[in-house]
Amino acid sequence: MLLLPKFDYYEPKELTEACRLLSETGSKAKIIAGGTDILVNMKKGLISPKVLVSLGRISRLSEVERMNKSITIGSHLIIAKLAEFDLIRKRFSILASAAKVLGSPLVRNRATIGGNIVTARPAADLPPVLMALGAKVKLKSRRSEREVALDDFFIGPGATVIKPDEILTRVIIPETPSYTGGHYIKLGHRKALEIAIVAVASKITLNKPDGVIKDAKIVLSAVAPKAVHAKSAEEVLIGEKPSAKLFEEAASLAMNDCKPITDIRGGVDYRQAMVEILTRRTLSFAWKEAKKGKKQ
Amino acid sequence: MKQIIILTVNNKVYEIAVAPNRTLTQVLREDLNLTGTKEGCGIGDCGACAVIMDGRPVNSCLVLAVQANGSDITTIEGIAEREKLHPVQQAFVEHGAIQCGFCTSGMIISAKSLLDKKPKPSELEIREAISGNLCRCTGYQKIVEAIMDASQKMKK
Repeated sequence: MLLLPKFDYYEPKELTEACRLLSETGSKAKIIAGGTDILVNMKKGLISPKVLVSLGRISRLSEVERMNKSITIGSHLIIAKLAEFDLIRKRFSILASAAKVLGSPLVRNRATIGGNIVTARPAADLPPVLMALGAKVKLKSRRSEREVALDDFFIGPGATVIKPDEILTRVIIPETPSYTGGHYIKLGHRKALEIAIVAVASKITLNKPDGVIKDAKIVLSAVAPKAVHAKSAEEVLIGEKPSAKLFEEAASLAMNDCKPITDIRGGVDYRQAMVEILTRRTLSFAWKEAKKGKKQ
Repeated sequence: MKQIIILTVNNKVYEIAVAPNRTLTQVLREDLNLTGTKEGCGIGDCGACAVIMDGRPVNSCLVLAVQANGSDITTIEGIAEREKLHPVQQAFVEHGAIQCGFCTSGMIISAKSLLDKKPKPSELEIREAISGNLCRCTGYQKIVEAIMDASQKMKK
């Protein structure tokens, strides 16, 4: 049996109290949300924080709020609920579909949206779709509060711009315009408890059902130290009329927008080849959805 | 320092003093002697330790007992009604869905949670619902058949 090292445990009911605890205990403390990542690392002896501060009793952090032109999701919302909420399923369907392929049902009932972001794994499921949706995160400490675009949040594997005394409290996703569609494909050897070999999230917005592409986002995952935009592929799409040929062009550009490594899950060449295929496929699905006028 | 927590396990209320570094699996097995819940991998990969916590199946090896304070928990011991097996349990016996038996508690917890929410699931939905539970004996086929059979029988 894997045992946990000793630690002190606090579960404040207020966010301000959590911030105070974190600022007073400094680097000895860690936040625990769903625990599906931190407890594994503690059991394996990779980390042993002296203090755990739980966000589980701060009820506001598990709520989804609809704001003016955006929705904000509390960082402690469990992954299973992301795929259950009507608002998310209907208006941000790529987020719901990424939530459905994260871990396993047992993991999704504990793991949280905030946890999947702050752990900053290069193959995490939510960051690519949240980046495609233009999400921001709210970081709160005892003295300050700031918003950071997810595009600027990740530094590398396990590393982000979050400071030791900051807590990721909310994920803010802007409402998307009409004629927007999106799609997420995770390629793995199996359908559950899988870490992606390659994953791609695409989102396009048309100016009218049979019109040109007004906005395009393609985010590649597991092919760089962090999820990355396929910038040249995004650029080639804008202002153009969607077609299979255009998507092929974008897909082959996307191959060079990433820097995969060879590891146990796949080689460089295979990963690049899959980036091309998944980019093309996600774009055609996104196009189909965008034509229907459905908001993504 | 130990903390006092209150757990409702299989409809019985317990007040227990636990150290924060003890998992729900440990407390269920060692303090409450509910050894039907198994610990396999201890890191959330195998699902042998699954219990229903506030209506949702979870890996109890990745829940601190202190996090479960105030929760309503159902373990494998709380599935049958006295001597009468739950239809899922009965179907597992009849279909040979149990071989070594180590995954069975978790499998039944996941299957029951599914049927509580969705009484008539498709085969795909069944496979998805047990996708966090590893079985190294059966090849899953008999488990899936058992759950399908249980869902048929529960409908009647």
